[in-house]
Amino acid sequence: MPVDYRRQLIRLIEQHAHSEVMGALPEGTWITRAPGFKRKLALIAKVQDEVGHGQLLYNAAETLGKRREAMINDLLSGKSKYSNVFNYPAETWADVTVIGFLIDAAAIVNQVANAKGSYGPYCRALDRICYEESFHLKQGHDAFIELATGTNMQRQMLQEALNRWWQPIMHFFGPPDKTSVHGEKLMQWKVKMASNDDMRNQFPDAYVPKIWELGMTLPDAALQKNEAGRWQYTDPDWNLFFKVINGEGPCNAERMKVRKWAEESGRWVRTALMSHTAADMLPVA
Amino acid sequence: MMNNDSLDPRVNRLHLSDAAAPVIVNDGENWNIYEVFHQEKRGAHHEHVGCVHAPSPQLALVFAKEQFGRRKKCVNIWVVRSADIPAFEVEDEDMFANNADKTYRDASGFKVMEKINKYKAQQRGEK
Amino acid sequence: MQAAITYLLTKMADDALILGHRNSEWTGLGPIMEEDIAFSSMAQDKIGHALGLYSILHEQYGTPDPDKYAFLREEKDFRCCHLVELPNRAYDFSLMRHFLFDHADALRYEYMAQSSLESLRPFAKKLKGEIKYHTLHANAWLTQLSRAGEDSYGRMQAALDECLPLALGMFEQSSFDTELMEAGIYPGEEKMQAAWLERIYPLLVKCALNMPVPAEPVNGGRHGFHTEHLGPLLDEMGAVFRLDPAANW
Ligand SMILES: [Fe+2]
Ligand SMILES: [Fe+2]
Repeated sequence: MPVDYRRQLIRLIEQHAHSEVMGALPEGTWITRAPGFKRKLALIAKVQDEVGHGQLLYNAAETLGKRREAMINDLLSGKSKYSNVFNYPAETWADVTVIGFLIDAAAIVNQVANAKGSYGPYCRALDRICYEESFHLKQGHDAFIELATGTNMQRQMLQEALNRWWQPIMHFFGPPDKTSVHGEKLMQWKVKMASNDDMRNQFPDAYVPKIWELGMTLPDAALQKNEAGRWQYTDPDWNLFFKVINGEGPCNAERMKVRKWAEESGRWVRTALMSHTAADMLPVA
Repeated sequence: MMNNDSLDPRVNRLHLSDAAAPVIVNDGENWNIYEVFHQEKRGAHHEHVGCVHAPSPQLALVFAKEQFGRRKKCVNIWVVRSADIPAFEVEDEDMFANNADKTYRDASGFKVMEKINKYKAQQRGEK
Repeated sequence: MQAAITYLLTKMADDALILGHRNSEWTGLGPIMEEDIAFSSMAQDKIGHALGLYSILHEQYGTPDPDKYAFLREEKDFRCCHLVELPNRAYDFSLMRHFLFDHADALRYEYMAQSSLESLRPFAKKLKGEIKYHTLHANAWLTQLSRAGEDSYGRMQAALDECLPLALGMFEQSSFDTELMEAGIYPGEEKMQAAWLERIYPLLVKCALNMPVPAEPVNGGRHGFHTEHLGPLLDEMGAVFRLDPAANW
């Protein structure tokens, strides 16, 4: 396996794994407050799945030779990134429904494409992940519809959440192709199977009508489909995107503190049961 | 009670330290790796589905049950330490390369109908 | 009899709901990913058990529907024990609470599977396998951590010392008990506690953990007297639901 291919694969899979683990935090915000049994159970199960996705992806990356401890350390030190979208706060219950519906939908666009890529262990993890994502999307959509078809207060809550999340969603697919650093190479290697701009265009096609049909709006007056079938939209603020990547988003610091707390508070459990012969084992691929 | 000014009441109950304070996970803290095989119904093959990190075979089973058996049908799980699985190296794949050529091991290597048909045609010709 | 059955099922369900809620707080924050997943599943199971019991109560004994009963009821009408109310601390506390509670839970449902109360038998039987996993999980963790060196052993012993009096509060008696016993619905808390001690004792011995003596039970929960933690927990749990209890969420 070419060295560069391996390195880029590790980088990509590792970032994906970190995103799952950090993604558990914004939605976790509402775990103790989910309204009613159905939502409470679904939300816990959904956040649990995200942790599970992280677990599967770290395993896939480990087959390439980097140990999970090393990946976690790179996350905690900031050396390795995770998806920007999780550095935004989930302010109300409605934010959780928007995340569950639309962020998971966006993740599916990306993951379904990459599941056809060239590295088997990553693709296998993605297959399992996509299966679970369809539950995430469905439960998110269901909770979203409940608010959209509910009382005025619920609709307003939802509209405000949509307004907050639209730009982070447009950012989600990554910077424009012309500025993307690794994009072209990853596509040549069939690690990344769709370009950022292609995915950004594919997303509104599937989901904007589902928002509009409920009488909800999106905070972009320019958003529309042209005759050629391409979506037109106001370019999201890319300066903001890079600012958030570099640590200046509203929740970067909190997410990192909480993740560090989890690692620290679990340390006694892990070290108590540590085996001193384990150091250089990797999964069999 | 703590208050970390988080929107998450769970987080407000934690004693958080500074975001800049380094936290380092030591090598081996994530334990051994076990490969997981699940069985969909009694009598079926156990199929490889992934791995778990665990400190013992007992906890590996406990973990595998939820990470790989919490959805869909599953009746049993096997776990085995990755390090205990002997396997060939990738570059040894060439040892298997000529399998497809050895048709004398395969039904496809024996063209009986051809021979029968030839014989029958011959018989017809003689009449 | 209706009041006695409502009391019995409500206390079982409230225990399950509140402990499931507490345990779900670990989701995403557990000591290692694999355990995070396992513990979250069991939290979901517990909340599911509560929902199942509240549904039986609603359909057969006329309590409000499960969402309203759980998310709108006043603190004084909850019948959970103090053990389940306490906030999570370190993982040792959560594991010990889980161990002590789930063995009692397993016993309760074993009895319920043979109860004269027909409405409960199929439900109790259905949960058997789930709870078996819960106790398997608890036993595995307890035995391993208790044998994993001084620090870890000390933590587990301290957690046991702290949890045991609270756990004895699971068996707080009430004026309904005789009626339930005479009707063959429930064997009574005294018998339950004895069976529980018999079950956990050999396991604790295996772990070289010492039963703290004397341990006075912490009672009150079954009569609606709770720790200062339950009120805030219920406010938090109902925060969104109560914005508009008539709305669909
Ligand atoms: Fe995910
Ligand atoms: Fe998801």
